[in-house]
Amino acid sequence: MKNISFVVLLSGVSLALLSGCAEPGNGTERAEGAGGEPEAGQVLHQPDFPPEQIEGTPEEGELANVEGVPQRPPSLRFPAGAEIVSREKPVTSSDDFPIIGDLSYITDGNKRAGEGYYVELMPGPQWVQIDLEAEHEIHGIWVWHYHRQERAYRSVVIQISNDENFESGVTTVFNNDYENNLGLGRGRDRPYLESRYGKPIRVDGVNGRYVRLYSDGNTANEMNHYIEVQVFGIPAGS
Amino acid sequence: MSKRQISSAKVLSMKEKNSKSQPISRRRFLQSGALAGAGLFFGAPSVLSSQARNAPSDEIKVGFIGCGAQQQVLFSAMRNIPGIHYQAVCDIMQDRVGGAFGRIRATFGYSPNRYFDAEEMLNEETDLDAVIVATPDFWHARHTNWSLEAGRHVFCEKMMAHTIEDARSMVRTAESTGKLCQINHQRRSNPRYRFTMQELIRKNRICGDIQNINGQWNRSVSASQDIDVRETILPDREVLRKYGFADAHQFLNWRWYRDLSGGPISDLGAHQIDIYNWFLEDTPKSVVASGGRNHFRDREHFDNVMAIFEYDTPLHGPVRAFYQVLTGTSAGGGYYEAFMGTEGTVQISEQRQFTDIYRESGAPSWDPLVRRNLLRRVAASAPADADDAVASYESPPLEKYDLPGVLNKPVHQPHLENFFDSLRGRATLNCDARAAFESEAPIFWVNPAADSREYIRFTDEHLTVEGARTAEY
Repeated sequence: MKNISFVVLLSGVSLALLSGCAEPGNGTERAEGAGGEPEAGQVLHQPDFPPEQIEGTPEEGELANVEGVPQRPPSLRFPAGAEIVSREKPVTSSDDFPIIGDLSYITDGNKRAGEGYYVELMPGPQWVQIDLEAEHEIHGIWVWHYHRQERAYRSVVIQISNDENFESGVTTVFNNDYENNLGLGRGRDRPYLESRYGKPIRVDGVNGRYVRLYSDGNTANEMNHYIEVQVFGIPAGS
Repeated sequence: MSKRQISSAKVLSMKEKNSKSQPISRRRFLQSGALAGAGLFFGAPSVLSSQARNAPSDEIKVGFIGCGAQQQVLFSAMRNIPGIHYQAVCDIMQDRVGGAFGRIRATFGYSPNRYFDAEEMLNEETDLDAVIVATPDFWHARHTNWSLEAGRHVFCEKMMAHTIEDARSMVRTAESTGKLCQINHQRRSNPRYRFTMQELIRKNRICGDIQNINGQWNRSVSASQDIDVRETILPDREVLRKYGFADAHQFLNWRWYRDLSGGPISDLGAHQIDIYNWFLEDTPKSVVASGGRNHFRDREHFDNVMAIFEYDTPLHGPVRAFYQVLTGTSAGGGYYEAFMGTEGTVQISEQRQFTDIYRESGAPSWDPLVRRNLLRRVAASAPADADDAVASYESPPLEKYDLPGVLNKPVHQPHLENFFDSLRGRATLNCDARAAFESEAPIFWVNPAADSREYIRFTDEHLTVEGARTAEY
């Protein structure tokens, strides 16, 4: 029922205008993050989920084709040996002076939704970047933006690179920026409602030292938030 | 200790940075154009430009008292309204002051003054025009009365006060000072609600005689948990005690404590019972209620409450109105108020998905209303299964309709616009302190009715500002 609250507020006129644009995808297996039955040599990972903590009156969102909250706790499938490689790793951001919180919250392992557990960044397009401090073969990323209110974040793009500045060797592993607001290319992944389950993103063994996550506000306000980001991988060459 | 400024260089740096990072997106451009072109939306197109500003001389200087979650909601709605200067923010928790400060700076590029004490803010900020009160209920009367007495207009969250006597004091102070005091029953300014009340129910009487009302706001156990905050950002215990909280749990979860709040019936029910009274243009003559602690057994307040109000209205005759607020289940289809009449039912909610309108089979046709775009027909109802219908003595299926538009702005924005328009002399308040009192007064008696298991027949002592003080909880 929760996904229904994100009704399409676009009129027929606006839908016609949008028809020339890339539509959000119908969701991919990767974006769903479903583990399914693990194949040989793979494991099914399910993190400890934080308690639900919804406050206040929900706002109707205006994003189309929003993916609802999972009906069951999701899981992420990756090769045996992959583990969290982002814990306590340094985080930088396009906003080096967060409105509230600290960038270190993003990799501190705490996924709770209350005050003091999330970092809030400036309005508009912003990014955070995790330095894994060494190249890794990355097999999954799990993101919790903010789950204290039903909302969806706009233009979520996740990239991996060995270049700290993301100017070369960049691989995009998730992109729901279907109007290309960020100029990084049109995405076909679906926008999704935030929940305590976070968003698991399966990555097919992409090598890189840095993981960068973009967003452009959310359906409740124009700020950007992160509670926790977990990157799963194996040290490159091991 | 409470007023601090950051350097102007820092502000400039942030402003420049922000301006670079906020190009006009094509998505928003398309959306704006479409909304204006379609003409199907309730709300002024001007709000689509969040950067529009009035001339400085016309700006309204605003201070916030209370910067928790509800202040964030209000600021998100206010930031779209032109002509407001955010001059001061105040909260007893440093992290919340910092958050409010940062959001204003990030959005508008200037720095509000910061305070940890409301009286100090009111003493220092002598040129404020208005104060937004978003503190726990038991502070509303003091913060509102202090602000009004200091010559400020006030926009105060509902429930307007924790006790009926405090609420009375707010009406008296507003009326004696001549300052505006709007209570945040935001549905009263919501164009969907105003349209429904004025056009559909009052003018076209699509319900016929409203005989019953049913309303609810139900939340799941998981969505009703205690508030959780990182311990290191909490105010010191000494500070908490100074401001009336025994400990951190009370500070964060004041809604569960009887000395601090009216509990779910006032937190959630106040919004909707207000609509009962507003749409009926009357107040109830009695209440009977039941409540319990079925799941959250340690909480002082009931975690589920059911109440029945009886009315004897000039417009519709006798009306019996049921309301339930449950925090142990989200069942029942969200939150709404359903006005059930002899010719039709209007179930309205802030959320479009919970809004439905039905015509009784014997009612006059609503086709003329559809042709005038006052209603939108949803779809023909499926015929009932003949055998089942006979077996259950089922009434004929109802035609389903919807409102002809949606609200294209945050739900709190129209009520804030009404407040600021009233300050400028362009409007009158949609829910001033007296109107709010008259609507909230019956709500103060639900918990006592549930406690005593007694039927309460209202008198002027229960429901009026001027009522004697003998009707105490």
